[in-house]
Formats: sequence, structure tokens, C-alpha cells
Amino acid sequence: MKSVLPILTVIAAILLFWVVCVVPMNIHLVADQAQRDELIVTPETPSARQDVSGVGLALRNTHLIPLTYNFVRPNLPSPHQVAGEMYNTIFGQKITSKRSLVYHGWVTLAPTLLGFLIGTSLGIFLAVGIVYSRVMDLSVMPWAIVSQTIPILALAPMVIVVLGSMGIQGLFPKSLISAYLSFFPVVVGMVKGLRSPDAMQLDLLRTYNASKSQGFWALRLPASAPYLFASLKIGISASLVGTIVAELPTGARAGFGARMLVGDQYGQPLVSWAALFAAAITAAALVGIFSLIERITLKRMGMAAT
Amino acid sequence: MKKMMMAAALAVGLGGTTAFADGHANTVTLQLQWVTQAQFAGYYVALDKGYYEAEGLDVTILAGGPDIAPPQVLAGGGADAMLNWMPSALAAREKGLPVVNIAQPFKTSGLMLTCWKDTGITSVADFKGKTIGVWFFGNEYPFLSWMSQEGISTDGGEDGVTVLKQGFNVDPLLNREADCISTMTYNEYGQVLDAGVNPDELVTFKYEEQGVATLEDGIYVLEENLDDPVFVDKMVRFVRASMAGWKYAEANPEEAAGIILDNDETGAQTEAAQVRMMGEIAKLTAGSNGALDPADYERTVATLLAGGSDPVISAAPEGAWTHAITDQALN
Amino acid sequence: MMATVAALLVWGAGWWLNVRLATGPHSDRPVVRALIPAIFGITVILVWELLVWAFEINPVILPAPSSIAERILVEGPRLWADFQQTIIKGAMTGYVFGGLAAFGVAILADRSDFLTRGILPVGSFMAALPIVGTAPIFVKWLGSDWESKAAVVAVMVFFPILVNTVAGLKDTSAMQRDLMRTYGAGYWPTLLKLRLPAAMPFIFNGLKIATTLALIGAIVAEFFGSPTVGMGFRISTSFGQLALDMVWAEIVIAALAGSGFYGAITLIEKRVTFWHPSQR
Repeated sequence: MKSVLPILTVIAAILLFWVVCVVPMNIHLVADQAQRDELIVTPETPSARQDVSGVGLALRNTHLIPLTYNFVRPNLPSPHQVAGEMYNTIFGQKITSKRSLVYHGWVTLAPTLLGFLIGTSLGIFLAVGIVYSRVMDLSVMPWAIVSQTIPILALAPMVIVVLGSMGIQGLFPKSLISAYLSFFPVVVGMVKGLRSPDAMQLDLLRTYNASKSQGFWALRLPASAPYLFASLKIGISASLVGTIVAELPTGARAGFGARMLVGDQYGQPLVSWAALFAAAITAAALVGIFSLIERITLKRMGMAAT
Repeated sequence: MKKMMMAAALAVGLGGTTAFADGHANTVTLQLQWVTQAQFAGYYVALDKGYYEAEGLDVTILAGGPDIAPPQVLAGGGADAMLNWMPSALAAREKGLPVVNIAQPFKTSGLMLTCWKDTGITSVADFKGKTIGVWFFGNEYPFLSWMSQEGISTDGGEDGVTVLKQGFNVDPLLNREADCISTMTYNEYGQVLDAGVNPDELVTFKYEEQGVATLEDGIYVLEENLDDPVFVDKMVRFVRASMAGWKYAEANPEEAAGIILDNDETGAQTEAAQVRMMGEIAKLTAGSNGALDPADYERTVATLLAGGSDPVISAAPEGAWTHAITDQALN
Repeated sequence: MMATVAALLVWGAGWWLNVRLATGPHSDRPVVRALIPAIFGITVILVWELLVWAFEINPVILPAPSSIAERILVEGPRLWADFQQTIIKGAMTGYVFGGLAAFGVAILADRSDFLTRGILPVGSFMAALPIVGTAPIFVKWLGSDWESKAAVVAVMVFFPILVNTVAGLKDTSAMQRDLMRTYGAGYWPTLLKLRLPAAMPFIFNGLKIATTLALIGAIVAEFFGSPTVGMGFRISTSFGQLALDMVWAEIVIAALAGSGFYGAITLIEKRVTFWHPSQR
């Protein structure tokens, strides 16, 4: 709770910066339009204006500054425009309507959660394998790292075409791509976590004559909990990004990614910006939920969350 | 492990390619070239008004998008038929994917270059030294062909054009990053006007008027499926109903736009833009009853082959189109 | 059928070889440690080649590794030009700028606990902005050339490096800081001689995470507008032209570049943080 004031201060500072930047970013387009509307603009021709910076143009045409805040096709929408669009599409529409951001949020969230589940399970499975099998450790881990350098946007269409030819469309292909992006942080975190018990603790278990499996359930798994939660938080955010990326090769039909794309394409930047912010807020909310679960779980396990 | 699973999935998937494509004698899956918009009105109208149903067909329309290559979907067996521009389809044929044109609802081309008048461009020769935005993904072929025919290099510099891979909107023109951009008469040109630009601030070059137009949206299927009489019969009914849909859409643009909006899952399309699009599309489909005119085909092939140093296709294709479906459909 | 059996056999052989190497007496030698993932990779490629050939998979869907290798050899100059545009001009520039910005903000935040508590949550919100949304906006602002890609990368790498640097700067113990005070060291000498070196393991952790993000960011950003050169440009246009072997050739270069970049940072990390338990 003591973080509220600092967060608000930083947000206020960013908002201030944003509001100031709206003017130079939009002034060129506003000037072009103003000239068509028979207002006086200095300099007079668009090509001459190209050579003047945004700030310079704004200073020479101060009567145009208010217009930059309500422009229909802004390069940088003003905060109130974005907030207005978000309000309209979240609260101003029926939740089941295609024009509602809540509907699109659900379309994106469903594969995200499924993909996150798949990615986490795969990640934990791989991590256990890497920790307990030397072969897997040496052969699979480097390739897991390499897998993250492969641009998923290049692979995604192929995955979707193959799955489409098998009749699998809709939720599952998007979840697979989402899982691809979320499994790696989980692997890395769990490997670190499963290896975190120190020599003394491992020795203690040996004096108890504990088998490998008992050692896993009694010591390694609980010890990995803080690392697991850190990875889960990165993973859920990566899952959301992955789902949005996956919406491109599946026809950009619905979901946040589709809104961002179609808004950008059809000259409706506000639609794009609203979807962008809604996606980020959703990710932040998901991470927040996991933070809460983390705090409760670790408290019950007796580990203070660092 | 993941690669192994992919390989297994691939094996299963590819084994079932042709089986899936004509597995059901009455189901048709159509892969569109782009997102749901009035450019595809004929098909959505046919779906909505029950023309497909009347022919006993169960049709699924798959929207396209920026990361979808319809030929690839067709190759993977995810669709029975695809929409594609002819240059892209002929290039796919050369790449080893035998697609065949079975119908051509679009008679004329809507592709044009839109330039600012104050850049001083009045004719093609003035393109030298300018920056021009071009889409790719199959839409670059007409432009590259044209430049090659005019002898203008696309590598930039004083005597050539600097090519920009245009994103999916008209911002490069509005922000004056490009002197000219590629636009469709039915979509992006209207967007430029919507952004407040007056038509007399612009200079346009329609590919049709420049004599370098190529055929656009046509219906293509895989060659091997044409040997299957069940598939052929399905396609005949499909083309018949689709053309009925097109003619209805041409005559009733507002209603067609409304149907598009109902089918638009993103909720971001606007009625005004779709009505305008439908009006312009009607000009492109007018004059076609669905059958491909061989003269138009020959002109397209000639344009593509004339692209001197960097031809889109290296040889005149054979068997790239058929009247077998339209002959039956239009009787 | 035969091909599937053959593929399973190849897979089994590779696995068996790796088991022998990993559990054998020489398993700690660097040569062996490099060989094992290499064998794993080669096995995957062999199985891939076998399956593509046996099932006659259309090259328009999945090309065989042999045709990809051929494409890499033939298109060397073009791949190199793409590499320079995307990795060097786009990704590296963005990485350096984003890293420096994150570093600067972290030092600022370090001086004030108030700022730290404010910046971290807001930073995590910025990190959650999906690239599919930010890339077109940056292209609109900065044009289609490498500058917009560098901006996208800078935004993507900012938060991981920031979070890790802040965590690292907090990592010194009270005893260590007291020692510096007994030496009469002010804020800046303490920062430079104690806290920054102590923060290095965390900073490098952040830098390593940022390398893959930088690469992906630069490539994906090119999908939304670019000049006619660049890895993202080549991938997207080759995909549209159904030249899948070129797509995979670029993917291979991306994977090599990414791994190389990651490896380079790891090497520097080994030199700089030689004293840390994880390096001993």
C-alpha cells in the first residue's frame, strides 16, 4: 500500500510527458488539415513544412495547438482520447458484442491461459528431466535456449497450416504458440529452483536414507517454489504476448491482436491504442494475481517472499 | 521432443491432405486473401442469403490476414479453394504448387499508385529518385513488372526508385515518408481521402490505364482435385452460388456492406468504409460472369513475362486455368 | 512405414550416443559438452530430412534441411545484408540504447526508494505492451528504416535490464556498506567500487534475457514496414512468395546470431564476475 503514492507520482510524470509530446507529434498532420480548412499556417506548403521540426512548427502556429488534442487520426492520441475510446469499448458496449473490448479480451485470454498451462507443464517436466538426467541436461538445455532465438512469427504460420490441415483450428493452435513463448522462463526458473537446495540440506536427506523421489517431493520441489513463482509471472506475460502474436496467422479475426491490426490498417489509431493498453492492463492484472497467489502460498510454506 | 511431435503431426497431416479436401461431398472451405471486408462480398452474401444452402453446400469462409499465405493453406489441405491474385498464383505454380484458376469474378484491376502532386510527379518517368511504397505478399509482382518494363531500377538512387515495404495502412504517404504508395481503388485510396486529403492534392496512376494491370481476385484450387468428379461437382455448385452472390452484391451495395459488418469479427470495420468499398468493388466485378477471359489471362502472362531482368515467372504457364467448372456452373 | 522406422532408429542411435557420452568418464571435458547438444541437433536434422523425403512433404509447407543449407550457401550476400540491417543496425543499437537508459534509470531509482517503488510497477506495465501493438506505432513515428526497429528493441529490453540492475544494486550486505563508510567513501565511490561490481551478476542476467528479446523485437518490427532489406522483411516476403527455404535460412541465421550474442555476453560475464560462486 505504501507503493501507491510513488506509483501515482511516476504515472503522473509520464502522463505529463505524454500530454506535452502530443503537440509536436501531431502538428504536421494538423497543419495539413488546417490548411485545407482555410486556416493560416506558416510555412505555407507541406513540403516546406517537412523541413521544420514538430516543435518549431508548433511554436510558429500556436493557434493550432488545441487542435492537436482532438485530431481524428493522430500520430499520438492524447490521453483523454485513449481513455475515452477504452471507456466506450469496455463499458459502453454489451459484453458479448464484437465491438466490446471485454469480448476481445476473453478471446485473447482463453488461449493464453491454456497455452500457459501447457507451457508450464512442459517447462516443469523438462526441468525435472534436466535436473535428474545428465543426458537431458547436456543435450536439451542448449536447444531450449536456441529455441527462444527463433522468431516465432516466422514459425507460427507453418504450425497453424499443419494443424489446420488436421482440422485443428481455433483455440489449440494459438495455445501452442503461446506455450512456446512461456515454457522457457519456466524451465530456467525451475531448473535453478530444483538445484537450489545446498549441499548440507541434500546430505541431511541422505542421512534419512531418502530415495530420489522422496527427495524431490520433500526438498527440491518446495525449495523451488520462489523461483517457480518468479518464472510463472514472466511466463504468463509471455503467454499473452504469444497469443497476440498468434492472432496474426490465424486470420486476425478477434482478440486484442486483431483489434490492434485492423485498427492500424483501417486508419483508426484509437482502436489500436485502446487494444494496446487493454492488453497491457490484462497482463499486469494477471501478474498481480500471481503475485497474490505467491504471497499467500509462500507465507503458508513459511518462506518469506523476497 | 517437440520436433518429434511436429514431425509426427506433419506425417499425419500430409497423409490426409487430399482426403480432407474432398472428404465431404458437400462441404467447401474457402480461404480469403485478407480480413473480412467488402472485397469478398460475393461470398458472404451467398452465405447469408442462403445461395450456398440452396445448392446443398455447407461453406466455411476462412478470413485471411497479414501472416497467412493462401497457397500454403491450400497446400496444407486446410481449404478446398483459395482466392489469390493471378501473379501470385502463377508464381506458386512455378514453385511447385499446381494451383488452377477455376473462376475469375474480378474483371479489372483496382491497383493504383497514389502520389502527392507537390512532389512534381506527372508521369512514370518522374518516379526516378523517388520513394515508393509497395506491399509484398504477392502484391509486389505487378509493380516490379511495371518498373522492369519501364527500365527503372528498384534499387534506389538517382535513377531508380527506392522501394519501401509498406505496412498495412496509408501512413507512409500521410507522414511523407514515401512520395507514392500502393493503394487499392476500393480501400486505401478512400482512406487517404478520409484522412482529409483533397483529390486535387494527389496524382494517381491506375495500373489498368498504364497497361500493366494483372488479374486480381480469382478462385483457385489444387490441380489434383480436379480429377475427382465429386470435387468438381462441389466446385460447380460453389461457383454458381458465389457468382449469384456477387451479382446480388453489385446490385445492393448497402445490404452487402451490412452483411460484411455482421460477419466482421473484429468489430472494427465501419459501415461508411464498407459501403464505399462495395461501390468500388462493383466496378471491378462488373463485366465478369465468373468465367476467365483467356485474353485477360494472356495479357496478365505477357505483363509478367515482360519483366526483363527480374521476371515474376520464367515461362508461360500451361494448364493454369480451366473453364471446366464455369462451363457447367453458368449453364 | 519404413521411413518412420528409420527415423525412430536414427533418433534412438543419437540418444544412445548421447547417453554414453554424458554418463561416460569424459563427460566433463569441454569437447564432450559441446558434442552432446551438437549430436542432438544433428539427429533432429537427420530425422527431419528423412521424414520430408519419405512422406514427400511439399516444400511449400516444410522444406528439407538440405534445400535450406543450399539456400544459405547460394544467398550468402543477401543474408549478410539482411543481418547487418536487422541485427547490427536495428537490434544492437536498440539494445545499447535501451540498456543505457535502463542503467541510468536504475541508478536514479537507487538514490530514491520512493522512485524505486514507483518505477518498477510502471515499468512492468510497459514491458507488457505487446510488440504487435508497439511496432506499427513506432514505424508510424520513426519511419520504416532501422530507427523504428531500434526503438522497439529499446523499449523491449528496458524493463528486464532495469529490474535486474535495481535488484543487483540492492544486493550488498550492510557490513559491506559499513566498511565503505569506515573508509570515508561517499555515494559515488561506494557505487563504483562496491555496489556496481556486486550488482554485475544480476546485470548480466538481465543482459542475457535482453539478447533474445532484442533479436525477436527487431525481426518482428520489420513485419510492419521496412525498406527492402532486413531479416524480418525477407522472412515475411519469402513466406508470401512461398520460398520457404529462404524463410528457414533466415531462421537459421537468426538462431545462430541469437545464440552467438547470448554466448558472447556469457563469456564477458565469466570474465567480469569471475568471483561469483556460480562461475567457480
